Amino acid sequence: MNPQTILGAFRTALGGKILDERTIERQVGTIDPKPVYDLWIDVERGAFRDAVELLCGEYNPHLSVISGEDTGDAVALNYHFSAGWGERYGEVTFTIRVVVPKSDFRIPTITDLLPGAQTSEREKIEFFGIEVDGIPDKRNLFLPEDMTIHPWRRDQDEANAPFVKRLVKWEERNE
Amino acid sequence: MNNRSINLEIGGGEQTCYTVPIGPTHPALKEPIRFTFDLSGEQIVGVDIKPGFAHRGIEYMGMRRNLIQTLYLSERICGICSISHPLAFTQAVENAAGIEVPPRAQYIRTIIGELERIHSHLLWAGVGAHELGFDTLLHLTWNVREKVMDLLEQLTGNRVDYAIPIFGGVRRDIPAEKAPLAYQALDYYKGLLQAMIDAFLHDKSVEMRTRNVGVMSYEQAVELCAVGPTTRASGVRKDVRVDMPYLAYADMDLHAITPEDFGTETIGDVYDNIIVRLLEVAQSIEIIEFCLENLPEGELSSIPKVPALLAALKNAEGEGIGRHEAPRGEVFHYVKLVAGQEEMAVWKVKAPTYNNLMPWVPKFLGDEIADIPIIAASIDPCMCCMDRVHMVDESGNESVHAKEELIALSRAKTRRVCR
Repeated sequence: MNPQTILGAFRTALGGKILDERTIERQVGTIDPKPVYDLWIDVERGAFRDAVELLCGEYNPHLSVISGEDTGDAVALNYHFSAGWGERYGEVTFTIRVVVPKSDFRIPTITDLLPGAQTSEREKIEFFGIEVDGIPDKRNLFLPEDMTIHPWRRDQDEANAPFVKRLVKWEERNE
Repeated sequence: MNNRSINLEIGGGEQTCYTVPIGPTHPALKEPIRFTFDLSGEQIVGVDIKPGFAHRGIEYMGMRRNLIQTLYLSERICGICSISHPLAFTQAVENAAGIEVPPRAQYIRTIIGELERIHSHLLWAGVGAHELGFDTLLHLTWNVREKVMDLLEQLTGNRVDYAIPIFGGVRRDIPAEKAPLAYQALDYYKGLLQAMIDAFLHDKSVEMRTRNVGVMSYEQAVELCAVGPTTRASGVRKDVRVDMPYLAYADMDLHAITPEDFGTETIGDVYDNIIVRLLEVAQSIEIIEFCLENLPEGELSSIPKVPALLAALKNAEGEGIGRHEAPRGEVFHYVKLVAGQEEMAVWKVKAPTYNNLMPWVPKFLGDEIADIPIIAASIDPCMCCMDRVHMVDESGNESVHAKEELIALSRAKTRRVCR
């Protein structure tokens, strides 16, 4: 998969709704090095569904996982896709990042486009407390059913305080 | 997750007469997970899966340690994949921090990674034989597996948790005098491979118990984002080592193995899972031989001193992705580093079974209770040991079945079909 082709398609379809994009080229192989590519695009929340629809419609992607970071007023979600599998050197990783403000903490589901996303979306619900609109099943997956705190949120004291027993000496010194 | 949430229904749902929860501790798996089956007679017409009973909050812990401490932690995510997580994690950190890895270190990482694949696939084959009731085959398989465990101990010092990769290289060399040991073990497996194929794939009873059992179609494998041998058994040629090469895999000509390579039609059942895993053992032997023959000379690590490495990592800023094709499928690590901070800002770990949870749903639907152990084992789940089955019938009467009972059911079916 040519990284410029896929990025070009996104530029055409989304235009100004792409906030940022990066192409990271890495050389792999010790005898005859060849390039592989990691693509990252940041999109507006309003254009997020369009971006995933374009990807699912044209590129038959695989979703590895969704990662996230609590940045204070918002949570940045990274949807780690890869496209072009099935061909030697054909695959690129394609990460779509969308920033969701905590004041309106919701994101549309992509399980209707890619049913395999359900595991990861449910994990984000329990770990960040985000509302995923349209997901067919929103029960806790990995955490106990009665757990109310969201461990990856940095603004919840319960998730930061002595929730995990300090295990090694150097951590106690840093307290 | 359940079948309704991905719009999978099969006939007979109206006549469901009882629900059977299996787990969180149960016979076919070595770690806890709960399946709730809707049954119509002997047939499974619905399933709900609840993992999480072994959730230890590793990512949370990892974001509160320095990177070298977290490397050791990553090695302990899984005892079987004990080099797969460090391989993906070191690549993610190296990509984020821009650290180069010397060629010799890349080859050594690949060798240990492939030795792990041989032992993992043989372990799986033994478990599969046990679930079907062929304990002779279990003991044969696990006996021959000892050879690769011994080799790993001779090369790294440990049977599991090898502590080989470190950011920028490896911690131990494979010296020239150790190479004959490796060749000897590889020759041993080359001689055995045909016997293993005969024992598993040319055995009428194994074929009857695994053909058309636990089927997942090509389309389901793709849309449910399945990974590893589980997806390749359905004919999807997806393998990180081939699609987006890394380490020494970039230097050799590889292809993703599917049942077509065995000359049979792809059905996507348990039998196809056995084909893919046994052929991958042969592929691993070839990869290790290539690496041993072409092992480059040179440094083991680009930043050998640990304090210098810690300082470099503390000053690094950026984010990176690391992927490795573990024996069970794609392992994925995402790392975000912030300059001046010893611990990672974000660490996300994705193990293969995470992706292979959903594929269980189509695999279970339509099959029988006696097939539950082998289908559960077919994806080679990494949270795995059943203690007992808790059955609740329609009137609320409860009965507890010991693990031996479910396995006895599976064995009785084997005897029945072989008659």
